[in-house]
Amino acid sequence: MAETTFPNATQVLEPFRGIKRVTMEEYFTSGHRTCQGCESALVMKLMVKAAGPRTIVLGSTGCMYVANTTYYTTPWVVPWMHTQLGSSGSAALGTAAGLKSLMRKGKMKAEPINVIAFCGDGGGADMGIGAISATLTHKEYNSLILLYDNESYANTDIQLSGMTPYGAHTTFSPPGKAKRIIHTRWKKNMAGMMAAGHPECRYVATVCASFAVDMMNKVRRALTIGGPTFIHSLDPCPKGWDYDPMLSHELGELAIETGVFPLYEVEDGQVKYYGKTKSIVEGRPRKPVREYLLKQGRFAHFTEEDLAYFQAKVDEMWQWEIPAVVPFRRLDRAKAALEVK
Amino acid sequence: MAAFTAEIVYRGIFQKNLAARIVRGIVLSARKSGRWGIAFGRYGDSPQRNGIPAKDFAIVADTKEELEQNMARYEPKHVDVTICVDDTLAKGVESWAWYGLQPLNRLIVPGGTLLITSLQPYGDILRDIHRKDTPFTMALIRARASFSGLWVYKEDHTEVRILGALAKIVPAFLSLDAVCQAVSEMEWGSDLKVASARKAYDRLESREIEAGEGNPETPYSFELPRWWEMREGVSIPAIPLGKPKEGGKGYVPERNPYFKKFSTRTMRPVIDFDTCVKCNLCWISCPDSCFDVMPDGTFDANMESCCGCGVCEAVCPVEKCITMVNESVFDDNASQWDAWRQDKDAYRTWMIDKISNTQATVRSHGFRFRGQYEEELKSELDAGGQAITAGIPGENAQHKTV
Repeated sequence: MAETTFPNATQVLEPFRGIKRVTMEEYFTSGHRTCQGCESALVMKLMVKAAGPRTIVLGSTGCMYVANTTYYTTPWVVPWMHTQLGSSGSAALGTAAGLKSLMRKGKMKAEPINVIAFCGDGGGADMGIGAISATLTHKEYNSLILLYDNESYANTDIQLSGMTPYGAHTTFSPPGKAKRIIHTRWKKNMAGMMAAGHPECRYVATVCASFAVDMMNKVRRALTIGGPTFIHSLDPCPKGWDYDPMLSHELGELAIETGVFPLYEVEDGQVKYYGKTKSIVEGRPRKPVREYLLKQGRFAHFTEEDLAYFQAKVDEMWQWEIPAVVPFRRLDRAKAALEVK
Repeated sequence: MAAFTAEIVYRGIFQKNLAARIVRGIVLSARKSGRWGIAFGRYGDSPQRNGIPAKDFAIVADTKEELEQNMARYEPKHVDVTICVDDTLAKGVESWAWYGLQPLNRLIVPGGTLLITSLQPYGDILRDIHRKDTPFTMALIRARASFSGLWVYKEDHTEVRILGALAKIVPAFLSLDAVCQAVSEMEWGSDLKVASARKAYDRLESREIEAGEGNPETPYSFELPRWWEMREGVSIPAIPLGKPKEGGKGYVPERNPYFKKFSTRTMRPVIDFDTCVKCNLCWISCPDSCFDVMPDGTFDANMESCCGCGVCEAVCPVEKCITMVNESVFDDNASQWDAWRQDKDAYRTWMIDKISNTQATVRSHGFRFRGQYEEELKSELDAGGQAITAGIPGENAQHKTV
């Protein structure tokens, strides 16, 4: 396995040992036109706080582009550039390759620079998925693609995306009298798909900013392991999910505690669960999904039947061979192989 | 031959559906009065964000030709009536970077009207509203600001109460009968709402505001870059790194100097520095990085960048260490930590006065659970609030029907 040694050195970023040891410096600061209680803005702040000053950030179109750069102004302290809706993967790869080339030619000082490209669920999971997938196969370039998932095209006033949960009220799926549930598709499993489909991508993780230290440490791991990496962040959105902005943090916690969203990382093929998700995998009870769903106006039309369906689908997720990661079942040989490890 | 223009100044998303109903109601009431009307939102406010001020406009004219003449504008420069549905907007309106703070009454023509929903006395509102060099009328509807979200609407009759009040303010364009007819025919109308519109018409209070009366402060503005000063490739300088607060301790981040969040805020955190356990949770959880780290390890919410979401209060583990209080009870954006450091007893008195104000600590900023809005309306009425109608509305609250 000679290929697994990567020619590009990465920065040394030790995990933060607790909230008191987190660096005070802000690299994404105040003065952005985001909603009250915007969890995605918090993701940006924590992402670059973890990455540090020698970082280039690329952002595809979405709230975190439009809201953060109103007219010729910026809240970014590190260099940031806009890239088109579907091109976060290409931008990450191109920037990493460009930096490497400039350094090889001696046109710029050789040093490890973090390259992070972020995309929303529309830009990443719908439009940009092909480019992200391609980037995750280029193991000689270090980059991190962070998908901030607020489960709709929130910037343009909440159209449904491939990441919108079943039955949610969006501009494209308003519940009606004749038909209550308009959006009948189940949400894509982005992190699992990226981990399962890119054997040479060394690190894929899911995060939620309500668990800030865990989130920052996963960003640090993704930036230091070498090669392309992928992080999926679930971001409660007060605008599109329709809830009091004060509840942003609480809804992030509830998503994990009800088992709707798992927190895990896949490092070199090894799955590690985190926190509440870990205790759920170990068999401790999940909170019922209704505690999470009924706090949001986008599910206000749900009946008991809809809640039961949603609960059953979430229950199913925890029966997967690798619970909540990839939807495979009853592969005895694969199971045996896992047990050997 | 005449036309009238109204603007609705409202909180983005929280009041988007409310404002849309009001301007639609104006146009339909105008039709019932035999006139023509049009309603539109301000293009520059889109995409809207929770809490960030936005505007809708409605124009009513006697003839179609006159309406077309008034429509041939990107955005009205003068309005006959400014309708404001949240009194914390009296402090000013800042929609984007580069706007600076725009006084709420800026577009009102001499002798025009500012119609505002508020529970405050005139004097308190005038402390916030910037002075104008022409007189205008301030009309009050006694109501709390009605906030909901995109999908579930708070059916507290605010929209029809505004329409009823307008019939009193501009009877030449909207008669009360026309408003009532329009309300009863609209998909979100009802007999209860017609009664509410009539009540608002009867109860409307108003007062003449003299030229020069009001908040004497000059609204802050920015020196905008000239086009020849802009850099190649539309690149802009990054924000510099922050600095320690004082004596090498603490941390104060640099911030975007062209977009502040004074006018996004509907509530602000009031902090008890004596009970703070320095757990860092408010600081790390703030999406707007508004907390400056003080040399003693406590955190001061910087009022230039706090947008008032309340996440800090939600994550704070100490009871009443952070309390969100309605923006209307504050007169400035001064540092709370500085005040606390200067005189701890005076600060405690000030703080207790703010956080024990039960009117100002009421929170209704959108959906929390099904049936919440109906409960809120009922408890408001039970507490001796302004009766809307004889009944508690709520049948329509399940779905948006704009």
